Amino acid sequence: MNFDHEVVGKIGRVTGTIAPKKVGEVMLSIRGGSEAFHAYAGAKDETIERGERVVVVEYHPPRTVVVSQA
Amino acid sequence: MAISSFGSLLATVVVVGVVALIAIVVLFKAMWRVAEPNEALIISGFRTRRASDAIGESMGFKMVTGHGTFVIPGIQVVRKLSLDLNEAELVVDCVTQQGIPVHLKAVVIYKVGDDFASIANAARRFLDQQDKMNTRIQNVFAGHLRAICGSLTVEELIRERDKLTEATRAAAGTEMEKLGLVIDSLQIQEIEDPTGYIQNLAKPHAVAVLKDARVAQAHADREATETEQLSAALKAEAVRDSSIKQATYQADVDRAAAQAKLAGPLAEATARQQVVVEETKVAQLEAERREQELQVSVRKPADAAAYEKRTVAAGQRDADIAAAEARARQVELQAAADAKRTELNATAQATATRQIGEAEAAATQAKGIAEGNAISARLTAEANAIRARAEALASNQDAVIGQQLAEKWPQIVEAAAKAFNNIDQMIVLNGADGVSEIVGKVMAQGAAGLGLARTLLSKASRREDEVTAPGSNGTAVVTRIDPGSKEKS
Repeated sequence: MNFDHEVVGKIGRVTGTIAPKKVGEVMLSIRGGSEAFHAYAGAKDETIERGERVVVVEYHPPRTVVVSQA
Repeated sequence: MAISSFGSLLATVVVVGVVALIAIVVLFKAMWRVAEPNEALIISGFRTRRASDAIGESMGFKMVTGHGTFVIPGIQVVRKLSLDLNEAELVVDCVTQQGIPVHLKAVVIYKVGDDFASIANAARRFLDQQDKMNTRIQNVFAGHLRAICGSLTVEELIRERDKLTEATRAAAGTEMEKLGLVIDSLQIQEIEDPTGYIQNLAKPHAVAVLKDARVAQAHADREATETEQLSAALKAEAVRDSSIKQATYQADVDRAAAQAKLAGPLAEATARQQVVVEETKVAQLEAERREQELQVSVRKPADAAAYEKRTVAAGQRDADIAAAEARARQVELQAAADAKRTELNATAQATATRQIGEAEAAATQAKGIAEGNAISARLTAEANAIRARAEALASNQDAVIGQQLAEKWPQIVEAAAKAFNNIDQMIVLNGADGVSEIVGKVMAQGAAGLGLARTLLSKASRREDEVTAPGSNGTAVVTRIDPGSKEKS
């Protein structure tokens, strides 16, 4: 059975601005659906606006990812 | 017999098979569990310590989502954890960032996370108390909501959804992760503010809108009124025009009616008028007849009498006039004849007189001329003599004296003449010479008696004679010439 559980490497879309001292949000396609994850920027002081494409570089279970701009 | 035993054996086999099949199905049903899409099976017990499908390390229970699995009854326990959406209602009194107390009514929608970590977290916390999950979440989330409220202003609460979700994530995200829950949405359903802040917030806009509305209303009202009044005026105008027209038409109608009504009397009057005209004519004719009669009976005789009298009078008058004219003519002719006769007489007399006068004048003139010529001749001779003497004297001073004397001569003569003033009549016997002589003597007596003076005197007298003969001769000459000149004039 092919379970699409892997998060790292996925490309997603920012739905809540990622900025320093803020919790951003990204929407990722996973497990046949889409789920929202709390997101932080990989580089410090980086701000990623809503609608930008990002790639997940780290996954902190259960619902947190670190992303960088794709 | 053999056939019947085979038949009974077959029946037995069939029955046993059916029973066995039923038993297998029932057993399978009892052991096979299927996880539906909205739930996770949590299996614990025998052989669940090995690695789970997705997670390398397990907490000693197996989680199954989306497919079926065998469960061995008795040695394995299977529980279901709902992955459905849950909704928790929250009613919270809190204070905003600006310190304004608000009463919030919110709904938080959450679910168990779809990943195994979340499912595991949730399973360990809520597996036996899934019905109490809402209460727990309400309690937990009330605090979060207060925190969220405190980090936002009222305006942000009302208007800025992004900030609200952001704040929700920041405040509650991590906490919910611990519980294996995911917040899908936080909705604020009601904000009550006892201080009236929101109302006041709305007031400027509301008032502005109200103002605009009132302005628009007023404009519309005014325009409507204007239009109404305009249309009323137009209506009145139309009514007026219509009334005027109606009145005009009514007048026409009335006139026509009156005319129609008067047609009868008019015709009657016309007829009567004609009758009167005819009667008048008759009366006129009668009058004429009477006039004729009168003419015949009164006027003609009177005229005849008058004519007779007039003719007689005119005859008489003409006769009188003729007589008078004849008389006048007679007198006139008589007078003319007399006048003519007198005139003729006078003319004859005048002619005679003139001829006599002319004859006398001619005689006198001839006499005068003759005398004049004689005097002239004598004086010329004397003058020549005097000139000769003067020329002889020209060389001495006496000539100058003579000249001066000559200039004074008129006075001298005057003085000499005075001697004669007292003489009434002087008869000169020898004409102009006599006069000269007398004057000379007088001068000789009165003056120095110069011979020179005498010569000068004679010279001057000659000159005087040439120029003013009558003056020098004085009265004597005049007296003599008088009759002739009288006749001439």
